[in-house]
Amino acid sequence: MRNLVIPLLVCIACAVVVSITAVVVRAEQIANVENEKKNKIISAAGIEIVEGSVENEFKKITTLYVDFRSNEFVSVEEKYDHLKAVLKPDLSGIVPKEKDIAILKRREHVGPIYAWISESKEVERVVLPIRGYGLWGTLYGYLSLDSDLNSVNGIEFYDHKETPGLGGEVENEDWKAIWKGKLIYNQDGGVELRVVKGIAKDEYQIDGLSGATLTSNGVSNMINYWLGDEAYGPALNKLKEHVKNS
Amino acid sequence: MKLTGKEARKLLFDPIVENNPIALQILGICSALAVTVKMDVTLVMCAALTTVVAFSNFFVSIIRHYIPDNIRIIVQMTIISSLVIIVDEVLKAYVYEISKQLSVFVGLIITNCIVMGRAEAYAMKNPPIRSFLDGLGNGFGYSFILIVVAFIRELFGAGEFFGIPVMPSWYPVNNFLLLPPSSFIIIGLMIWAIRTYSKSQVEENENPLKAHTFKPLTVKKEATDG
Repeated sequence: MRNLVIPLLVCIACAVVVSITAVVVRAEQIANVENEKKNKIISAAGIEIVEGSVENEFKKITTLYVDFRSNEFVSVEEKYDHLKAVLKPDLSGIVPKEKDIAILKRREHVGPIYAWISESKEVERVVLPIRGYGLWGTLYGYLSLDSDLNSVNGIEFYDHKETPGLGGEVENEDWKAIWKGKLIYNQDGGVELRVVKGIAKDEYQIDGLSGATLTSNGVSNMINYWLGDEAYGPALNKLKEHVKNS
Repeated sequence: MKLTGKEARKLLFDPIVENNPIALQILGICSALAVTVKMDVTLVMCAALTTVVAFSNFFVSIIRHYIPDNIRIIVQMTIISSLVIIVDEVLKAYVYEISKQLSVFVGLIITNCIVMGRAEAYAMKNPPIRSFLDGLGNGFGYSFILIVVAFIRELFGAGEFFGIPVMPSWYPVNNFLLLPPSSFIIIGLMIWAIRTYSKSQVEENENPLKAHTFKPLTVKKEATDG
């Protein structure tokens, strides 16, 4: 009898204490993650972060929302979060298998574009959220494009489950630095940029991460998906015009 | 059995030099290699481990008479892992940047030999307050080694102290000290220093080198007449 009751009591006591702690600190944790996202957006755009500069820099950003079904710019309710929308059936849809190269399964209908817009209504740079499956789980990140909306400004990942030292090297500063200046679209407008095995040969290639072929492929696929026709591609083509006329 | 001040001091400070969990018992080496690149990360890790080992000792000791003997390790693990989850959640909430750098190593406190060793060897046989002090003491012993290793690695590796550059500008970054194997060497040197200071820690040589006594087999050469 004792063999059952004591462990059971210990388990219940531990479970209660752990749950209470988790609930109590949840708010701080969420705030940390939100801050982290903002930091990553700013640093993906290639802007140096100093103490307290993130909030200031964020004021310069205009957030535009794109409906991927119609490729029109739309407005959303204030608290809209595109990642939470994925969980809601009316705000997201299942990605058809043959088009689901980034293995998302579900995708939100409306996604954000974080844009820096000059006073003369020119797009200076944009940051797009990207995500896709690597080896162990989904990688979440941001990709920034320069004013030509073709050359890469920077890339950042804020959440992933890749192996530290192998796929986890997506966070390596030296590797991220390679992305700057690379081109996304070829002359025909197709997404050409990808991570290759070995050393990059032209401006459409990124050096592969050694020992992390599946993570590298995952990164290629998510670039291909999110900048392609299914997601931000068509909207990026119209972005400059939209900003001019707004 | 009343706890005297002398005993309390012995419980708290003996594990620092005289009976150090890392230097004498060679336990908990894995995290000592991994989290000693920077002082601030190391300090957080030391605080996390000390908290876990002290409280796990305390709680295990409270229920030590009720734990069924044949499943005691599982009950201890339940308590230890709950404490580790709590510490991990708190770190994620209040020192987010450092908790990201510690990554899996906070979770790995669950399997840290010091925590399990103290619960099994001390807390199962001693009253709660003593066990708590013993846990704190062993946490301090662990912290002492880690802080010294981190100090050396950060100062001579990156030329920094708490992230602030202190070495003159001509000092090159010593990459070897920034890589985990360097802690092996530093810990080895510390063990040497401690055992030179306190001779009683020197172990008896269990397998002394002896003169060669093996008689080689004599192989008879077969006559090969051609």
